[in-house]
Amino acid sequence: MPQLNPRQNNIAIYPLMFILVIMSAGPIVLMLMTSLRLNVDITSPTASFFFTPTIRNYETTLCGVLWYKPEHVDYCNPMFGRALVNSLIVAITSTVLTLVIGCMAAYSLVRFKFFGRDVVSMTTLMMRMVPPAVLLVPVFGIWTFQFGISGTTGGIILIYTAMNLPFVIWILQSFIVQVPIQLEEAARMDGAGPFRVFFLVVLPLIKPGLAAAAIFTFRIAWNEFLLANALSDRNSRTVPVTIVNSLSDLGIDWGVLMATGMLLAIPPILFTFFAARQIITGMTAGAVKG
Amino acid sequence: MPKIELINLQKSYGAVSIIDGLDLTMEDGEFTVFVGPSGCGKSTTLRMIAGLEAISGGEIRIDGRVVNRLEPKDRDLALVFQDYALYPHMNVAKNMSFALRLARYEKSKINSRVNEVAEMLGLTEYLNRKPAELSGGQRQRVAMGRALVRDASTFLFDEPLSNLDAKLRAQMRAELALMSRRIQKNMIYVTHDQVEAMTLGDRIVVMKSGKIMQVGSPEELYRSPANLFVAGFIGSPTMNFLKAELSEEGGQIFVTGRGFSLPLPAKCKPRLSSHNGRTVMIGLRPSSFSVGEGEGSIELPIILSEYIGAQSVLLSEMGGQKITIEVSSEAPIPSGAPMNFVVESEGIHVFDSDTEKAL
Repeated sequence: MPQLNPRQNNIAIYPLMFILVIMSAGPIVLMLMTSLRLNVDITSPTASFFFTPTIRNYETTLCGVLWYKPEHVDYCNPMFGRALVNSLIVAITSTVLTLVIGCMAAYSLVRFKFFGRDVVSMTTLMMRMVPPAVLLVPVFGIWTFQFGISGTTGGIILIYTAMNLPFVIWILQSFIVQVPIQLEEAARMDGAGPFRVFFLVVLPLIKPGLAAAAIFTFRIAWNEFLLANALSDRNSRTVPVTIVNSLSDLGIDWGVLMATGMLLAIPPILFTFFAARQIITGMTAGAVKG
Repeated sequence: MPKIELINLQKSYGAVSIIDGLDLTMEDGEFTVFVGPSGCGKSTTLRMIAGLEAISGGEIRIDGRVVNRLEPKDRDLALVFQDYALYPHMNVAKNMSFALRLARYEKSKINSRVNEVAEMLGLTEYLNRKPAELSGGQRQRVAMGRALVRDASTFLFDEPLSNLDAKLRAQMRAELALMSRRIQKNMIYVTHDQVEAMTLGDRIVVMKSGKIMQVGSPEELYRSPANLFVAGFIGSPTMNFLKAELSEEGGQIFVTGRGFSLPLPAKCKPRLSSHNGRTVMIGLRPSSFSVGEGEGSIELPIILSEYIGAQSVLLSEMGGQKITIEVSSEAPIPSGAPMNFVVESEGIHVFDSDTEKAL
């Protein structure tokens, strides 16, 4: 049978791809366009596909953090600006914490022999199977009545770190296993103590794993709604909570809402873009005879 | 340069004993080679000296100081690993200077030291490359360079050449021999290759199943192996072993087997006359045979002839057993026809067939 040229074979793929692109990019395009319109434009029945774009909605959203006062804003609602800052603090801090604790825990689970190691390793992953909704009530109770940290960004950071740790530990374990033990021995011979072995030899080699774990953690911390909604007060709200809270009976400011949505999408995109560059294979090539 | 002593050194994993009471002293400036088959505990011994493996019993002393519980970094030793163990995320220069950087040497000193060693090993033009961009031989050099840069008191080598091809191995072996002469440090070298052991070592430690079989210079091991194992392990092609009986005739001792009777040199008489009449194992080096007729020559069939240039290795039969003979040859020796050989009586080794020890 003559071999079909794969290029001749895929005419049907174009409509399929078109549909997929519309499905994935469509809402974002819609959101972007709406965010660039005035409310009059959005809600008027005569609104057309073509319009004069404006950045007013963005100015309204960010008025709390802008260095100038936009003319059209009578009352600057600091909520969105504050929420963006809160989201950034929560996501970055919990990602950093998760990675720092996670890589050390994963290393000890892989390299140190101790009683019950496999059990610990397995239960760690099983913790991840617990849905956040189940945690909601007990966490709220403990955070509020025992720790007294509900309504603080610290409280949200803590639960996000705890929630993401199991998966990060699990994913990093598989990366650490691949680091040849001889490298650590070589470093020990070269005069490195346990911490230097870890930070100078092991950590650089599991960079792809750290990047993957960071993307994962950051994305979850950035998007999470349920727990943040329960644990935050008006000063510690994150963006997803703020967006939902701005849907009220008193009217919805679609333009501002969409602008917030667009702004919400930017940090994870940037973060993923830079972190993904670290995900390269073959980090340990040339280390040992393989 | 320190003296390293192993005193009743033991290692066991659970109930399985790997090293069983090793005693050895490695003198100052000596090139000691541990040799033995796979699993004999030679690498484990080296790793215990290095401090990478905990010891189960006994003592390791470096210059009289017990170092049993000392971290590897505090023992002032450098180790070259079998599979290189280069840091893949660092270039050659960084790999070599890692230890110095950890010890916070001055930058200028680090650079001059790295350049000096790189020059010695022919690595100067590769200093900016990553290990993945180097060939096997170059990686091996970097691994050695990393040890040399440190100027440690003792260098440990764990089968460093076993991953290289035959030609490169011979070349690196020669370089290693030259290097050891130049730097005049303690070297402990582990290998399963007896050729490496013979060519590099001042002193060879032959090991089997966690025990030392014999310690001695290459010549001692070759000329007077202490037991059957050492006799069979050292020398290439390997020694032939035949069953024979000791007998005394006319004031001379003979070893007599099926179809042969070989006289032993007179100097053996005081040692062997008491064993008269016993069945023993005799060992004959393939090179103890030479082609020729004369007194005491024996006729042997040539089953197979392997011509390898200046030498031919012949497969023959003696005393009902296959034996190997190595003779110098200008032209290939035809197989099939029998030939006459003279056996050099100095080259006959006699072993107790029960204890396997040399008599």
